[in-house]
Amino acid sequence: MKETPLSNCERRFLLRAIEEKKRLDGRQTYDYRNIRISFGTDYGCCIVELGKTRVLGQVSCELVSPKLNRATEGILFFNLELSQMAAPAFEPGRQSDLLVKLNRLMERCLRNSKCIDTESLCVVAGEKVWQIRVDLHLLNHDGNIIDAASIAAIVALCHFRRPDVSVQGDEVTLYTPEERDPVPLSIHHMPICVSFAFFQQGTYLLVDPNEREERVMDGLLVIAMNKHREICTIQSSGGIMLLKDQVLRCSKIAGVKVAEITELILKALENDQKVRKEGGKFGFAESIANQRITAFKMEKAPIDTSDVEEKAEEIIAEAEPPSEVVSTPVLWTPGTAQIGEGVENSWGDLEDSEKEDDEGGGDQAIILDGIKMDTGVEVSDIGSQGGPKHWKNGADAPIILSDSEEEEMIILEPDKNPKKIRTQTTSAKQEKAPSKKPVKRRKKKRAAN
Amino acid sequence: MAMEMRLPVARKPLSERLGRDTKKHLVVPGDTITTDTGFMRGHGTYMGEEKLIASVAGSVERVNKLICVKALKTRYIGEVGDIVVGRITEVQQKRWKVETNSRLDSVLLLSSMNLPGGELRRRSAEDELAMRGFLQEGDLISVQAVFSDGAVSLHTRSLKYGKLGQGVLVQVSPSLVKRQKTHFHDLPCGASVILGNNGFIWIYPTPEHKEEEAGGFIANLEPVSLADREVISRLRNCIISLVTQRMMLYDTSILYCYEASLPHQIKDILKPEIMEEIVMETRQRLLEQEG
Repeated sequence: MKETPLSNCERRFLLRAIEEKKRLDGRQTYDYRNIRISFGTDYGCCIVELGKTRVLGQVSCELVSPKLNRATEGILFFNLELSQMAAPAFEPGRQSDLLVKLNRLMERCLRNSKCIDTESLCVVAGEKVWQIRVDLHLLNHDGNIIDAASIAAIVALCHFRRPDVSVQGDEVTLYTPEERDPVPLSIHHMPICVSFAFFQQGTYLLVDPNEREERVMDGLLVIAMNKHREICTIQSSGGIMLLKDQVLRCSKIAGVKVAEITELILKALENDQKVRKEGGKFGFAESIANQRITAFKMEKAPIDTSDVEEKAEEIIAEAEPPSEVVSTPVLWTPGTAQIGEGVENSWGDLEDSEKEDDEGGGDQAIILDGIKMDTGVEVSDIGSQGGPKHWKNGADAPIILSDSEEEEMIILEPDKNPKKIRTQTTSAKQEKAPSKKPVKRRKKKRAAN
Repeated sequence: MAMEMRLPVARKPLSERLGRDTKKHLVVPGDTITTDTGFMRGHGTYMGEEKLIASVAGSVERVNKLICVKALKTRYIGEVGDIVVGRITEVQQKRWKVETNSRLDSVLLLSSMNLPGGELRRRSAEDELAMRGFLQEGDLISVQAVFSDGAVSLHTRSLKYGKLGQGVLVQVSPSLVKRQKTHFHDLPCGASVILGNNGFIWIYPTPEHKEEEAGGFIANLEPVSLADREVISRLRNCIISLVTQRMMLYDTSILYCYEASLPHQIKDILKPEIMEEIVMETRQRLLEQEG
């Protein structure tokens, strides 16, 4: 399929916004998107998500005979593929230009920089060496494939373990993973690519362009660096003229970014290592967050509602009368109160973990009620409540590198007047009453009224 | 700052919402349409072991002895005489390549294009060189389609077709645009709309006076007033809500939807519950009008 062309007004809008130092997703000029690294069950398999761009990296090894002119060195082979699911424009035969460019860049970045010690891959000089093959697949294209691919490659290489080999005289023994633990590759340094997109003939630059920005950019500068501030590769494409101080400035920025990313990678590797050692669960399935409010499927939590009415009366009597309207719990029969409308929601679990100083045992799960799932509810800062509570089970929690700080927990107290709650002017008037009151079944006022 | 939060909810099946008794015969690829071999097979079907089987997902249409399946979600398939709205993607030797949401790029030959001023003459080499001056990459045009060999060939023979000026483009599925006698409508609410058969809908402010027909070359770039802009935004949101509820688009349905949406704020029209409400009202009025 061909790509849908970018309309003139979109192009103009993007360029104008860049002139005013604004980006579509709200980032600053030098900000990276969130990087998320998750590992598979095998060693050497990882998925890197840079914003929405996803790259899958897989490393494998094989014993082969070495190249004739390099008898004591192992062989490194890189392959980047643009999968058809990454973008509609990628077809089996069509994307050759981009593909060649990306592959060349990957090779220069990883092979020529000698980040992997190829001498250590030699088993028997002249006869048997390890051939390490790195396969990268682009799963989703949202801009800046290079950075994501380079991170995926280096992470996969660091994560990979090759089978142990021992040489006694003429005999070579290859141990299976059961006999002896596999051995990591020896990696000198981690080169990471940082991309800079230039606009208006080099006047404006952006780090980590996303797909729209890439479409309107004039040129691209890619700098591959490691954390020791050594430049491994530098490439400028698009035919723009760059001044010396621009390039120097970019390299300084790249240095800073690479240091951050390297730290993130090391942390992710460490975490994975820890989880595997402790025998916890790891792999891609574990890294999918299904305890989030936006994931629809949740198990129903059993709730004891036998003494709801008394407890409710108590609490209502004690608490101050709310200044705004609160409807009474809907009791169908004594002992059966309506909590939600039969739709699964996970607010109960969230409240469990937060409110240790709880009242009324079985009523915890019902506290955040009336979040009728198909109407708009106005709450403030509610997003942060649902925040990073999901990694409590730890298992191989993906690390999220984010430049913005907006997670703060707010626990509502009953006497705190609903100042935080603003009501909408349309007819869908819903409020989140102070959370200590259980079983509030809001009479949903539909817009149709 | 006020914030609104929406949580996902299971989608209600469409038939509930529609409440219609006339059920179309909908099929998916692989469904048997009929085992009666007396029918001729048309588009979207194939013969397999004594049965007529559908190859696309859509509704079955029958004309006497001919059975075909009209796909619901498809790229634009050109018919002779259709009006389409397209965007120029390339300028080539004696033609422009136009993107019209079809399988292949459509072509607009230089000889099929109006000359400024409406003159009629053979296109010369200077015209060829000046092609980029007429239409550039990214321009939007409205043309009539002439279908040939798979790629749609376009022409702008009459002066009402040509380059489009200021307005809003809405891209919808081609199957939702109803075939009518005319596709250029001047709505009484104060805006005009071009319903392209390829699913590209162009909404623009009604020109006050029919200027000397320049053949649509001079794009009118005067600032559009706020009132006009609001009307156009509201129309756009109405069209989007009609599309979400899978209603056919034609001037009456758009107009009724516009009137039904007047009590709401423009930005509220896109909310699911308000969308449903507006479209139900529209449907109601349309049924009353027919029956």
